[in-house]
Amino acid sequence: MIMFRTYAAAALAAIALMSSAHVVADDRVPPVTNDLVRKECGKCHMAFQPAFLPARSWNRMMSELADHFGENASLSANKVAAIRAYLTANAADAAPGKLARKYLRRIGPGETPQRITDNPEFAREHRFPERVWKDPKVVTKSNCPACHPRAERGDYDDD
Amino acid sequence: MTFRLPPKIEIALLKFWHAWLAGSFLIAYVTADEDTYAMHLFAGYAVLAAIAARLLVGVVMSVGSPLALPRPSAKGLVTWLIERKGRNPLFSWFAAVLFAVIGVSAASGALADGWTWLEDPHEAVSELALGVMLGHVAFVTFMYGGKRLLMRFFRPRKAVTPAVLACALLAQPVLAQAGDARRDAILAGYTVQARAADPSFAGFSAERGEKLFRATASGGDARTPACTSCHTENPRATGRNAKTGREIEPIAVSANPKRFTDKTEVEKQFGRDCKGVLGRECTPREKGDYITFMLGQ
Repeated sequence: MIMFRTYAAAALAAIALMSSAHVVADDRVPPVTNDLVRKECGKCHMAFQPAFLPARSWNRMMSELADHFGENASLSANKVAAIRAYLTANAADAAPGKLARKYLRRIGPGETPQRITDNPEFAREHRFPERVWKDPKVVTKSNCPACHPRAERGDYDDD
Repeated sequence: MTFRLPPKIEIALLKFWHAWLAGSFLIAYVTADEDTYAMHLFAGYAVLAAIAARLLVGVVMSVGSPLALPRPSAKGLVTWLIERKGRNPLFSWFAAVLFAVIGVSAASGALADGWTWLEDPHEAVSELALGVMLGHVAFVTFMYGGKRLLMRFFRPRKAVTPAVLACALLAQPVLAQAGDARRDAILAGYTVQARAADPSFAGFSAERGEKLFRATASGGDARTPACTSCHTENPRATGRNAKTGREIEPIAVSANPKRFTDKTEVEKQFGRDCKGVLGRECTPREKGDYITFMLGQ
């Protein structure tokens, strides 16, 4: 009887571990692997993983760098082309994984959103009291690494 | 005397000269034998010529040029010891010692061709010169790469493989030395522009740069009324982008030797940040003042 209980406990623990591992693996997107993208996009803010926006959004963004959320983020034409190629090739419509699909699902076919933080999926996963956003370390909603220490690696598993 | 060449040419000349001196000394050192006497003689004269040419050029070039010779002074040493700011004075002292010992080594060699009694002193001085040169390599490696490498060893943040470490160790002194020269070239470029804008321009000033750094303006973005809004009051500290929350590496050269070494990057950053803080572009004089201030920080 004691033996059976031990086995049962072990099996339960194993299931719990596996299922939590399964849940954990959901909040991940492929990390940015392109050095130019990491350097140029990551200079002023975290280099967001392209899986959070569809290719058409990245295309629009790379065409409007002179007014990038109010900032002039212009780059040389060849850098723009290389970054655009990487972002569109790894965009939400191309990236594997549940998280990318969850974000893409909320975007209409005619929409070209620019702010990842405007996606309803983002709001759904970030329902916090206002004081959390007011933390001096946070500054703005797009500052992922303030709360997700492994965000740069595409790992948002820490909630 | 004042004399300048385009910054790129000055740096190329400096690199060429360094290779010339180091190469000819090495050849002279390994051929110091009866069998290879002709080559030893030739290489030795090449060393002597390199030293003579460098001293001549160093006197002619104006202060600020990478080809100007930094003059060691006891006063500079004392100031540095008290304030702990700016370039380590050991750099200029080391340069002076190198010139002296290599110069005496080469000159005594040339004379020993006629006065054979000088051969033994020549050999002794040359051994000493090699020792000082190895010290120079160790010093430069430590100043530019070693300090940071040691920090990484004792405060490991990322997994660093031995291969990467080895590459970094080998590349650091070269890169860092080039960093200094590249920064000088950027400043030299702003000097030319500043003089073109104002013929009475008389050099950059760290004080004006500090004033600019700490001043509050109202023409730019409301979130960034001053440079210090992101870089903090302490240029040696890690800053934070006031709009995105992104960490910013220290702006002071002493805390971040990579600063102001990539001309395109520097221009891009001034272009964005001057607009964000002042609501206008910075003048070449302001850019030069700013870099000059950060150089001493």
